Amino acid sequence: MASAALRYTGVSVGYQGVPVLTGVDLDLRAGQRLVLAGPNGAGKSTLIKSMLGLTQLLGGTATVLDRPPARARGLAGYVPQTGTLDADFPVSVRQVVMMGRYRELGWWRPARAADRDAVDRALDRVGLADRARHRFGALSGGQRQRVLLARALAGEPRLLLLDEPFNGVDAVSQEAIVRVLREVSAAGTALVISTHDLAVARELADLICLINGRQWAAGPVGETLTAETLRRAYGGAAIEVADGRLVVVEP
Amino acid sequence: MNWWDDVLHRAVTEVVLVGVLAGLIGVRVVQRRLSFLTMALTHATFPGVVAASIIGVNILVGGAAAGAVVALGVAALSRRPGQDAAAATGVLLSGGFALGSALVATQSGFSRDLSSLLVGSILTVDATDLIVTAVVLAAVTLLLTLCARPLLLTGFDRAGARAAGLSTGLWDVVLLLTVEVVVVTVVPAVGTILALSLIVAPAAAARLWSDRQPVVTGLAVLFAVASGLIGLSVSTRWNVAAGAGVSLAATGVLLASWPIARARVRGDAARSHPIG
Amino acid sequence: MIEPFTVPFLGRALAELVLLAVICGPISVFVLARGLSFVADALTHTVFPGVVLGVVAGGLDGLFAGALVAGLVTAVLLTVLTRGARLSDDAATAVVLTAMFSIGVVLVSRRSSYTADLTSFLFGRLLTVTPRHLAETAVLVVVILVGLLVAVRALLFRSFDPAGAAAAGLRIGRLDLWLNVLLALVVVAAVRAVGTILVLALLIIPAAAARMVTDRLVVMALLGTVLVVVAGYAGLLLSWTASVRYGLASTSGSSVVLLLVLSYLILIPVRLWRGRTRR
Repeated sequence: MASAALRYTGVSVGYQGVPVLTGVDLDLRAGQRLVLAGPNGAGKSTLIKSMLGLTQLLGGTATVLDRPPARARGLAGYVPQTGTLDADFPVSVRQVVMMGRYRELGWWRPARAADRDAVDRALDRVGLADRARHRFGALSGGQRQRVLLARALAGEPRLLLLDEPFNGVDAVSQEAIVRVLREVSAAGTALVISTHDLAVARELADLICLINGRQWAAGPVGETLTAETLRRAYGGAAIEVADGRLVVVEP
Repeated sequence: MNWWDDVLHRAVTEVVLVGVLAGLIGVRVVQRRLSFLTMALTHATFPGVVAASIIGVNILVGGAAAGAVVALGVAALSRRPGQDAAAATGVLLSGGFALGSALVATQSGFSRDLSSLLVGSILTVDATDLIVTAVVLAAVTLLLTLCARPLLLTGFDRAGARAAGLSTGLWDVVLLLTVEVVVVTVVPAVGTILALSLIVAPAAAARLWSDRQPVVTGLAVLFAVASGLIGLSVSTRWNVAAGAGVSLAATGVLLASWPIARARVRGDAARSHPIG
Repeated sequence: MIEPFTVPFLGRALAELVLLAVICGPISVFVLARGLSFVADALTHTVFPGVVLGVVAGGLDGLFAGALVAGLVTAVLLTVLTRGARLSDDAATAVVLTAMFSIGVVLVSRRSSYTADLTSFLFGRLLTVTPRHLAETAVLVVVILVGLLVAVRALLFRSFDPAGAAAAGLRIGRLDLWLNVLLALVVVAAVRAVGTILVLALLIIPAAAARMVTDRLVVMALLGTVLVVVAGYAGLLLSWTASVRYGLASTSGSSVVLLLVLSYLILIPVRLWRGRTRR
């Protein structure tokens, strides 16, 4: 049996004993793209953080890369929301991407040619090789997001977790990120992507998990993204428009 | 004999006035995370105080002038892109204090005053000090009442405040200058360390008891006055520096409030389910 | 310009400052990056009760041990309290600062010579540094440098992206404690010679000033060290000249601080100009 990238059974997660999200069942294998969709405040970030044991597991069983979530730290790549980072921090783009190699490098060992190559490849992949020596904060929001993606890629993870990677991202960067994500999943990396943008979800997902305080639906995109499940998850009217795309209207 | 002639009576009155003042402003300081700035102000008024006493001006005027320079300096430096307010505050703190000590060194016999600057000399307050404190208290109370809304809005939601047409920069300066006036008034009587302690600890303790602004403010004032009185009586009984006694009493109030906060967190957890 | 430093005590003062410059350049980079200015300020004050108790217990030898213990206690307290969500970081820091300093004052106020003790604690005795002090400082400098080097990568990651660092499996709590302990060690190494005010300046200003002219961390650290050496040399020379030539008393520590502050202020326009050209 192929090993699972992610296996959640009846999971509840939260903070300080207070559940934020309940009833999560997930099964993700190598090369699959899972999109976590739901409105703002649905618990998407909490769920992603739970995959690294950074939020409290209040019930159910969870394994990530066949081990307890906290043990998967450093093995899974993680792309945080750019907005949480200090734009004025004096680091170069290259230094940021090199952070993705820290697991191999440990605390001391100087970077070797292999590490530098991995960094160059990752930067090249997101189309920012020419920005390596720029200061991170001097880039646009979309470019910063691509740098953080490159950092995760530099660690060559088997599982990649992205928290709202398309928030405040320009069209060029969004296209670049989507292309890279398709490439890495084709190469066998499992992906978890959170977004509140259903159009992106539909475009990118193999599997989709619709959450808002609890899991409302999960499975292949076509079966899961229905007007009915959306109405329940968003608590409002979901209207299907002619071209097959869904628009959610807040009640 | 007049009631005011007794050293201890004057000290008690000053402690009560200072406690109310510190409690009122402390709520803002804790809310806006201005503790370090307050610390910087207590130290940075030092060159002003020294310079004023060298040239023979009222030391409150000197302290106020130096403090205003620092308050405006921090406001200006931290508004610039890429300037970190904490670093700017630290630079002005050490710079101000070094300037003060350089001025002190040119005078002889000043070191006694220096230590009283740190720990205060509450037992030597005179009628003028009391009047000044009372006037400042009235003015600060008035200001905080009249400007409560804009101050709250700029503190809580800067984008919203700007959208509502408020100048956040201006209101920041108003708050900083208010803190500065309080610090300048309080420091000569009670010292730099006590000033910081009496402004921060009671307000932080009050915040553990409640989330509602009026309740927090009331409790902060109560805690500050109580710490002042406890500290003062400890200091007269066991002959320790009054400033240190009050500061430790304020810390004690905070420590005593700790279990309350834990109990409240549990209660909240049972009642509401935060999301996000 | 060199001649005054052939006077032994002045030469030793400069040597002490150069030793401290070696660590203050790099460590101030982290103080800036993590916004630990207030924590640094707190540490300079909280070693005071340790200093007092140490002196009472073991004279000048006890001072070192006392400061060390108090510094480490503060580092732990600050790490624990600032991780709790109940109190904001700065309020917790302020409370630890005032409480520990007050304990020191209570201890010292029961002794007779208390103003002298306080004054020397504040301003240090840069001109009475002995060869033994220098040796102790040198040992601590090596310890701190090693402590910083082994963790520099993790500290950098944690400063830049706490969530990412936690996701990568770094122990944030331990890293924060590590940095606070290193800061405490710097304070312990420096406080007797240079006093609290100069220690604070050494922990904050080098990187803050260097940040005005560069975006690169390594350059910031090196520039910071150079700045401290230059300000140390010029400050000592200045206060020496002032007192020998013109009979003006001035504490050497405050001259150094004022020069550091001056360099920070002078570099502000550079930063503004760079900000304009970059965009």
